Amino acid sequence: MMQTSASSGIPLRQFGNTDANISALGMGGHHLGDAPDEATAMRMVHEAVDGGITFFDNCWEYHLGKSEIWMGKGLKGRRDRVFLMTKVCTHGRDASLALQMLEQSLNRFQTDHLDLWQVHGVAFDNDPDLFIRPNGAAEALLKAKQQGKVRFVGFTGHKHPDIHRKMLNTGFPFDSVQMPLNVFDSQFHSFETQVLPELNKRGIAALGMKPIGGHGEPVSRGVITAQEALRYAMSLPVTTTITGMESLEVLRQNLAIAQGFQPMSHQEMQALRDRVKAQAADGRFELYKMSLKFDNPESRLAHEFPVDMQQVEMKEMIQATKNTGHPFPKIG
Amino acid sequence: MENKEQENVVGLVPHRPLGGTGIQVSAMALGGYHLGSATNQQEVNNIVARAMDAGINFFDNAWDYHNGHSEEVVGTALKGKRQQAIVMTKVCTHGRGKDVAMQQLEQSLRRLQTDYLDLWQIHEVIYENDSDLIFRPGGAAEALLQAKQQGKVRAIGFTGHKDPSIHLKMLAQDLAFDTVQMPLNCLDATFRSFETNVLPVAKQRGIGVLGMKSMGGSGEIVVHGAATPEQALRYAMSLPVSSTISGVDSMDVLEQNLAVARGFQPMPAQEMQALREQCKFFASDGRYELYKVTKKYDGEVGREQHGFPTSGELPA
Repeated sequence: MMQTSASSGIPLRQFGNTDANISALGMGGHHLGDAPDEATAMRMVHEAVDGGITFFDNCWEYHLGKSEIWMGKGLKGRRDRVFLMTKVCTHGRDASLALQMLEQSLNRFQTDHLDLWQVHGVAFDNDPDLFIRPNGAAEALLKAKQQGKVRFVGFTGHKHPDIHRKMLNTGFPFDSVQMPLNVFDSQFHSFETQVLPELNKRGIAALGMKPIGGHGEPVSRGVITAQEALRYAMSLPVTTTITGMESLEVLRQNLAIAQGFQPMSHQEMQALRDRVKAQAADGRFELYKMSLKFDNPESRLAHEFPVDMQQVEMKEMIQATKNTGHPFPKIG
Repeated sequence: MENKEQENVVGLVPHRPLGGTGIQVSAMALGGYHLGSATNQQEVNNIVARAMDAGINFFDNAWDYHNGHSEEVVGTALKGKRQQAIVMTKVCTHGRGKDVAMQQLEQSLRRLQTDYLDLWQIHEVIYENDSDLIFRPGGAAEALLQAKQQGKVRAIGFTGHKDPSIHLKMLAQDLAFDTVQMPLNCLDATFRSFETNVLPVAKQRGIGVLGMKSMGGSGEIVVHGAATPEQALRYAMSLPVSSTISGVDSMDVLEQNLAVARGFQPMPAQEMQALREQCKFFASDGRYELYKVTKKYDGEVGREQHGFPTSGELPA
């Protein structure tokens, strides 16, 4: 992986085969929406940019748009210094819906273009078929790129390497692919061994997420430290590692790891894999692969899967729609 | 069976060979979990008696169903009929060793009021590392062999509902399983399919196959209109299996099942293919096979042994 150093010390890496370079650590948009208030969120974005983070992740459906709005405000006057990504939430629905969501995302961000636009939550076995069908979301990605509204396009999902491979086999020209990459993944339904090498071979930018395994359970249970987990993920041949931070404190911890980052040696990485082998083998710390827990309600509704009324996102949706039973927000 | 049903009195549930064991089982078996949900012991007695009159001789169970209640009610209902019945139960070690398995066997035998089982299976092989844990030195596989040698069980097998690859890992181990149990229905045929990935391997080795979840586990296939109950059950029973285990918790459900199973004639191949096609849309993302794609059907004991949240904490 080509790696150059920014003035602040967070390494920059080449975005696939393109001429863009992005920071090796990316700021996750979902957790930004968990910040106590807008002022804190804006301050976090400012400190992140000043600290050398240039990659900003987001998604149309995070916190019903709050994540995009707060990030947009934080990036005011700084938009040119960053590489901005958001995701579209069609979940099998069609191209026109995708383009409507794009306009909404651009409005919330107060920008006229995205650097990267990805299909969100490719998590069900038939999602690749629905994506590539006539009038599917694939057509929206191409159109938005032609119109200059997005520079690059990609997809993301957390469920199974086979589904990612099926997406790659549609033949669609993806610029990037996002996936869970952490030491537990390395030996269970592994994106690291089954998807990452293919991306490197094709020159597609690989974006890692969930470096600590979703909600940080392995850290809270003392199996691994946050520093070990993040360093492992960042040491893989990826363009960036997206991690969630919901407070200035967590942001500063992450900046400290990322600034002046030196990759782990192969021996160090293997030793860590061996150490967590027993806990990795059944997927206990990768619930996003094993359950509906991380599959958002928008996606479940579109696929007619049962929804969990206790889920935070589900409660948000019910509140926002005043329980009309329609997905939020109403588009078109 | 290939696919000539054994000669049978018309109107009775046909019997088929259980792999290479020499045991003959009815093409439909009574699921033990649901019998534990029946109103009371008398209801279970009535269901069991009526089922046996109709030709059903095969009874499914598991050590952890309703904390033992399922085994107890079936044991009581089979009093005086044990010799006519083929009794199966499952051991729930979930990665723990041989000693735990043997203790559970003794407990199951007591509850079922018998001194031998016709079939003893390892329950819920659904985690990626289960085959490693079962076949480690001192693992549950050793208990299966020991129990068979001691004459406490006639045949051994395993079951699971999660993924064909996990079943294949078990079958790749060096142990002569007599049976293997798996979800088999008209949706499974085209989604992470046990029918296409595991069933032929078992058949080729002469292992008896037991089908379950003919209607999707909780009737999802029927409730959402993918197939009628008759279609779903007929499809499952028409596969080259020894038996299809179906949950029955009332006389009404038993009668519905018997209407299909008595004098059963398999579906023609074209009809099966048409039904697969009809179900393809519903099958394609796993929405009605939740046991494959969520935690919903994964039991508490296994979750605990594998360090997963409980069903209260993680419903699906």
